[in-house]
Amino acid sequence: MKKYLLVLACMFALVLAACSDDSADSGTAGDSGKPQEYRTVYSGEIKTLNYLKTSETNEFAVAANLVDGLIEYDEYGIVKPGLATEWEHNDDASVWTFKIREGAKWVDHEGKEVADVVAQDFVDGLNYVLDAKNESSTAWIATVVKNGDAFYNGEVTDFQQVGVKALDDYTLEYTLEGSTPYFLSMLNYVCFFPVNGAFLAETGEAFGTTRENFLYNGSYILDKFEPQNERVLVKNKTYWDKDNVKIDRIRYKYNKEAATVAPELFLRGEIDGASIPTSILDEWLKAEDKKDVVRQNTNNFYTYFYALNFDPQFDAEFAPENWKVAVNNKDFRKSLFHGLDRISAMLTMEPYNPENLISNTITPKNFVDVAGVDYTLLAPLKAISENDSFNKELAAQHKEAAMKALEGKVTFPVKVVLPYNSGSPEWANRSQVVEQQLENLLGKDYIDVELYAGPATGFLGEVRRPGKFSMIEANWGPDFADPSTYTDPFTVGGTYNKPELAEGYNAEYDKLVEAAKVEVEPAKRYELFAKAEAFLIEEAFVIPYAVGGGGYVASKLNPFESQYSPFGVTSEKFKGQSILEKPMSNEEYESAKEAWEKERAEALANASK
Amino acid sequence: MLKYLAKRMAQSILTLFIIITIVFSLLRLMPDEGYLGAAAEKMSTEQQEVYLTNLGLRDPLLVQLKNFYVNLFQGDLGESITYRTDVPVVDIIADKMIYSILFGLGAVVLSLLVGVPLGILMAQFKGRWLDRLGTGYIVIIVAVPAMVYFLMIQMYISSWIGLPMLFDEYNPKSFILPLICMALGPIASYAMWMRRYMVDELNKDYIKLARAKGVTERTIMFRHVMRNAFIPMAQYLPATILFTITGSIYIESLFSIPGMGGLLVDAIQRQDNNVVQGLVLVFSSLGIIGLILGDLLMAIVDPRIKLGKGDSVR
Repeated sequence: MKKYLLVLACMFALVLAACSDDSADSGTAGDSGKPQEYRTVYSGEIKTLNYLKTSETNEFAVAANLVDGLIEYDEYGIVKPGLATEWEHNDDASVWTFKIREGAKWVDHEGKEVADVVAQDFVDGLNYVLDAKNESSTAWIATVVKNGDAFYNGEVTDFQQVGVKALDDYTLEYTLEGSTPYFLSMLNYVCFFPVNGAFLAETGEAFGTTRENFLYNGSYILDKFEPQNERVLVKNKTYWDKDNVKIDRIRYKYNKEAATVAPELFLRGEIDGASIPTSILDEWLKAEDKKDVVRQNTNNFYTYFYALNFDPQFDAEFAPENWKVAVNNKDFRKSLFHGLDRISAMLTMEPYNPENLISNTITPKNFVDVAGVDYTLLAPLKAISENDSFNKELAAQHKEAAMKALEGKVTFPVKVVLPYNSGSPEWANRSQVVEQQLENLLGKDYIDVELYAGPATGFLGEVRRPGKFSMIEANWGPDFADPSTYTDPFTVGGTYNKPELAEGYNAEYDKLVEAAKVEVEPAKRYELFAKAEAFLIEEAFVIPYAVGGGGYVASKLNPFESQYSPFGVTSEKFKGQSILEKPMSNEEYESAKEAWEKERAEALANASK
Repeated sequence: MLKYLAKRMAQSILTLFIIITIVFSLLRLMPDEGYLGAAAEKMSTEQQEVYLTNLGLRDPLLVQLKNFYVNLFQGDLGESITYRTDVPVVDIIADKMIYSILFGLGAVVLSLLVGVPLGILMAQFKGRWLDRLGTGYIVIIVAVPAMVYFLMIQMYISSWIGLPMLFDEYNPKSFILPLICMALGPIASYAMWMRRYMVDELNKDYIKLARAKGVTERTIMFRHVMRNAFIPMAQYLPATILFTITGSIYIESLFSIPGMGGLLVDAIQRQDNNVVQGLVLVFSSLGIIGLILGDLLMAIVDPRIKLGKGDSVR
């Protein structure tokens, strides 16, 4: 017996010895002349490096640092040259020509030069994306290009007929399906990124599966890529703009419980950035040694809203027909619109500064502007932006008017089916708050909110798209720098709440949107969109609720140094950012934000001159 | 013996075939949304159809099943769809298996080295302070949810004795805490069973006879009691060792060990059919092999057992 145990013990010792080999990575903090290194932990692993395939934010975040596109943005959101040095378009913005930067290089995972970046690389990239057999999930954006959709569906088989051409090595031309004044901002998407055609053909299906099966032309190279373990990015020495890359190494350590362990790792100085969950926020804000290292996180441009359904398809026991009659009464809708206390709903997620995330419009503020004036402040949207929709008196007035108008047509209390995703405890809590708050304010004689726990997987396909709701919290993210991107859910063909079925509607919203879409001059165009959005909200087809993001972080990065872009991938770039000596406190964050907003307004005004 | 093995193998292969076919069919009932990810919201219905057709999900179920088995016999488990796009499933599983085997075996060895002697000592000094101490430890391990003490170890004990919180393959020190965490549970169960079987054995007539004959306590313990007490433990040992491959879900995720723990859960959540099928195949095979090996090992350590006549020892 002893003998056996001894053998086992020896084997174990060998195994341990074998794994502590010394091929360790270099450049750790102990070096002299200490390179800037940013370390963090993450829990959402990327599934691929193939930027031509993915549509996931965390994969954009990697790709954006490894490969450059034609354009990028500065910290105020103004377009800057990337791999394109200049560009022009025809009068109706349907043909765009780009001059490609000479001297930009493709390098391999060891930083060795492989080829020059040329116009054909952008053609090859788009060809890959629009070829349906490659299963690219951003192909739908690329269909803005002439015959893009036809090629994807197989109606056109010759890629020569698709609207992208390399006129010579350094001139690239896109021909679009129609007038697209915001096309430049769409180039911030990975589907318009270049790829070296020869390398792609050589690697085939394996492209982007490992750091070796990948070519780099961006600010960083992958030094290590071990999914569910670690990912290390090092500065690309041949990068065309390497002087603006200040952080030398970025180290991501995978941990499935990152949310739990990150704050502790940050305190021990083992990482430089961590999200601070609300569950421990209180303790952090009170502790002497922690309160100065935690700050708010920036918001993103996902817009959240409550949609009222005009095509209810839920179970008969909840009387969908009754809801349908009620929701077609404007006063009934307005009573919900003014009755919903959005702050109390937001407290379930953000107990400290709920108003930071509340949005009064569908299009978030700081998204687009006209000569420095924010889109949400254009008439008639301005009146909506500046007023809280929650108003007890108005809610009571509308309730009274609705009860009078609907007497005999509707059975009170009207059942309001409010589903939530059972996989999200926060959403479940919020739904309960909304139920109690609305029923208490408007009275149980008027409405009866019925919560419904939808499935954790496939929620949208099971609940929202088939219309199994009266009212639902939903969201939408932008795809390019134009207000039209926020109209998609509500126009005909949208899969949200079908406002086109509202009585007496006469396709009003769609007409307003169409009129705005054909206008090329930005100021006029935005005004028309503002009018359309104001109509949508004024009619209470939707109740704007919040924007995404927020939360709290402890971080040694300055969020106002990063590229600013509400969509696409450049906001994920580390380029231009440096590591702070100590983490920003919330006071510092607030004042930096104020300064940034002022500078941004000036920069935008200058840019539009 | 050979006849017995051949029969068991045939049964096993049939079982595997049934399991895989059921899992394969069930996976095809998953909602389409899961394959589309974030793009589901933005693609038109036509584009979604083109996408899903290209994934092969629009073929009839029997055609999909046929393709799967044809590839399987060529040793091809397919490529990952949503977990690590285009990477062969075999590569994914192989990479991760190494880490899980390493930690799993380490934990099995550690728990045998500590748990079995602890059980022996507890039996030997039954009712004394060591026995009470051991029992206390076992009760705590069984009663307190494992997550709680794993977190305590990672958060507090690590800083108290100055060990890293996360696993790093280049830092041998970072192996210590996860190994200890993995061994805590098995140590308790080995000690508990070992003690129980030993106490049972000690009360048997032949031991009383040996004592009466004046055989030394040492000989009784090591020659008779321990050997007989270890037989029931031996049966489950191969399965225990084999199942270390599947990894420990919570410990691996807590300490950032890139092993197999939770891979199945992840793959199911991401609806990666090919990875799920591959894993189900691996796990079911492991289970079946573990049981057969357990039977064989029993036959080896216990001469009274003859395989083949009454078949399984269970």
